[in-house]
Amino acid sequence: MLARTITHALVGIDPRRVEVEAHLQQGLPSFAIVGLADRACQEAKERVRSGISSAELEWPTKRRITVNLAPAALRKEGSGFDLPIALAVLAASYQLPAEALDGHAAFGELALDGRLRPVPGALVAAEGARRSGLTHLVCAAESGPEVALAGVEPVGVRHLADAVAYLRGERDPPELPPPDDDFETLAGVPDLADVRGQERARRALEIAAAGAHNLLLAGPPGTGKTMLARRLPGILPLLDDESSLEATRIHSVSGVLAPGTGLVRVPPFRAPHHSASAAALIGGGVGSPRPGEASLAHHGVLFLDELPEFQRPVLEALRQPLEDGIVTVIRVGGRAVFPARFQVVGAMNLCPCGGRGDGAAQCQCTPERVQRYREKLSRALLDRFDLVLTVPRPRANDLAGAPGEASGPVRERVLRARRNLRERPPRRDPAADDLLTRAVERLPLSGRGRARVARVASTIAALADAATVEAEHLAEALSYRAPAELVE
Amino acid sequence: MTELATVVFAAEAGAHLLDAPRSTRFSSFQRRFDEAAYLRDLSARGIAWIARSDVSFPRRLAEIHDPPPGIFVRSRTALSLEGLPTVAIVGARACSSYGMAVATELGRELAAAGVVVVSGLARGVDAAAHRGALQSGTTLAVLGCGIDRDYPRAHAVLAGEITQRGWIVSEYPPGVEPAPWRFPARNRIVAGLAQATVVVEARERSGALITADLALDEGREVLAVPGEITSQLSRGTNALLRLGATPVTCAADVLDVLGVEPPPAPEPAVLGEPLRAIRSVVADGSVGADAIVRRTGLAAGTVAAALAELELLGLVTQSDGLYREVMGRT
Ligand SMILES: [Zn+2]
Repeated sequence: MLARTITHALVGIDPRRVEVEAHLQQGLPSFAIVGLADRACQEAKERVRSGISSAELEWPTKRRITVNLAPAALRKEGSGFDLPIALAVLAASYQLPAEALDGHAAFGELALDGRLRPVPGALVAAEGARRSGLTHLVCAAESGPEVALAGVEPVGVRHLADAVAYLRGERDPPELPPPDDDFETLAGVPDLADVRGQERARRALEIAAAGAHNLLLAGPPGTGKTMLARRLPGILPLLDDESSLEATRIHSVSGVLAPGTGLVRVPPFRAPHHSASAAALIGGGVGSPRPGEASLAHHGVLFLDELPEFQRPVLEALRQPLEDGIVTVIRVGGRAVFPARFQVVGAMNLCPCGGRGDGAAQCQCTPERVQRYREKLSRALLDRFDLVLTVPRPRANDLAGAPGEASGPVRERVLRARRNLRERPPRRDPAADDLLTRAVERLPLSGRGRARVARVASTIAALADAATVEAEHLAEALSYRAPAELVE
Repeated sequence: MTELATVVFAAEAGAHLLDAPRSTRFSSFQRRFDEAAYLRDLSARGIAWIARSDVSFPRRLAEIHDPPPGIFVRSRTALSLEGLPTVAIVGARACSSYGMAVATELGRELAAAGVVVVSGLARGVDAAAHRGALQSGTTLAVLGCGIDRDYPRAHAVLAGEITQRGWIVSEYPPGVEPAPWRFPARNRIVAGLAQATVVVEARERSGALITADLALDEGREVLAVPGEITSQLSRGTNALLRLGATPVTCAADVLDVLGVEPPPAPEPAVLGEPLRAIRSVVADGSVGADAIVRRTGLAAGTVAAALAELELLGLVTQSDGLYREVMGRT
């Protein structure tokens, strides 16, 4: 007897339809999986056999069992094939009605005791199911919310026995918990109320949020650069449906989606360590290409702490996503394209030992060392930062900054500024033009630098609800230009 | 006319020569050397050559006891320092933000008074002095390597600006790599071109002190900027002051030594609020923007805008996130 289930393999963040055929024949007992399955996938044999027994179902003995994963040319990776294989074997051995699987796809890993485990990429698998014209996806209960996002009815179950009971028509699929609403969504996000003092940096963060500007914070260690950066997502608008689905897809495939959660609504915050490889940052890896940190930060914030400590090739690799909002990963098997449109917050010390800019410490670095440290930031990379801020260490008697404003009201202003920029972008006042001309004469300001200042000035005007960019807005924008010591 | 042949020969031999050597190797080199073709090639690359015997060779440099056979010049305009006051500003490469700010302001104010600011294009004080001078006048950079090299490479943009509005000078022909032993030689040219040498920040036994010594050897004036007695970076300058160097507390102190009239003071800018309030906070000593916000009670954005305007007015400078008042403008 032959039975078939449908599932989807992940290639990058795209689903590929895979038919799982189980063929039971008379003959010496054996169990083989054919069709370019990797090791995790071959191990499915043990899990499926043990899982079926544990579900008090019958493992077909005295049969030659062959499972074929088609198309054979597609490499199958991971453990998501366990459930479709088990269901196909059960259907082929008449333990499930043959038509029960109509309209259903299946995706999930089996534990040896028959429990179902969620597998990364359920959202993508569900999108594949929808494209294949299927209406239901049998999966682990934890994957239910993701599957629902794709417009496919999740059949989220905890045990293989539950899946079988449902497919036999013995019980309804379990109810899903209702998705979180926006208010709760923001609950765990770090709040600006925790930041004392740091008035200038807070202001720059607000401008960065309002204009989606990249921000570079320079200053000695312990000046709260990381703490500030982590608070950027909390003052950004939540992702709209389409953006949210894009981000969720990437997080789902990468297995970083918290179990049981639905859409990624809060802009993601990713902080790769400076030892990260180019593959880790922009994507790659062995086998099917995986999205990197740049894509995990899609529609969110990529925080690069200790920016000059990153390997130069790694920073160079960031240029494509910074320019195009995508990364292309070239593989033996072809290319994968991942979306990667993110806002960068960079942080750096003023010198390798961190003593510079710190009144309490003396810098021990040789000029060559300071220079090498700063030269790691190519001009091209520095040009990507609209806002550059040097944060000195506060002196002891300046430490007692007032408790800061909470993220809520800041976020309100950011949202209003974004609306202003969209609906009535401010024009530049002649006085502002004069000031800019004066600045170009007086300061080392390149053409690109000039454009950056103008962009930031627009954002500042929008934050002020002003119809025109006034001289004061432009002056403030000038104060966030890269200082000469970083430019050269 | 053996000067050009001498420097090209010295470069190829990796030696430092002040006069044509009496050797058969040099004679045979000189026979092979096509001076006209070499000069054509130089000028195609925008480089001029001024031999020591040339009338336009800087007079002050010719007066030192070991002048180079000639100098190469990279600039849009011909080098002519005759009748121009010249001051060298030198100091530590790893200077403090104070040293950086002082060097920039001295460079700017001296250049504004018509002084040619001479330095070595090195990191730290040198670059700050050049940058300051470019804001209001002209500057001259002396290289310790071939005239075609921008060394350090990080200063390529700065070097480009100097060739537009000043001069880059070297005693070494194109292709000579930077080498540590050439830098003291470079310093003698820095000191030699200048009427007076100002040391901004210097550790003990540092290159800037060598330049000061060379200046003293030639009977030129040496001035030093006082620094904190607790800072390593002030050991050299404070030692100079103890030995009798003229202290520099503002650009006028330097102009005084040169006998140059300071330019008429610009109309004191009439500052409205909040610029005036913020300026008075900065006048109390270097200060970060956050501290200004707290002391004035103004919004961070307002303070940022005002600081940028004060910078544009030349009343305040910023380095490493600290704002300080520009000297001599009170
Ligand atoms: Zn240091």
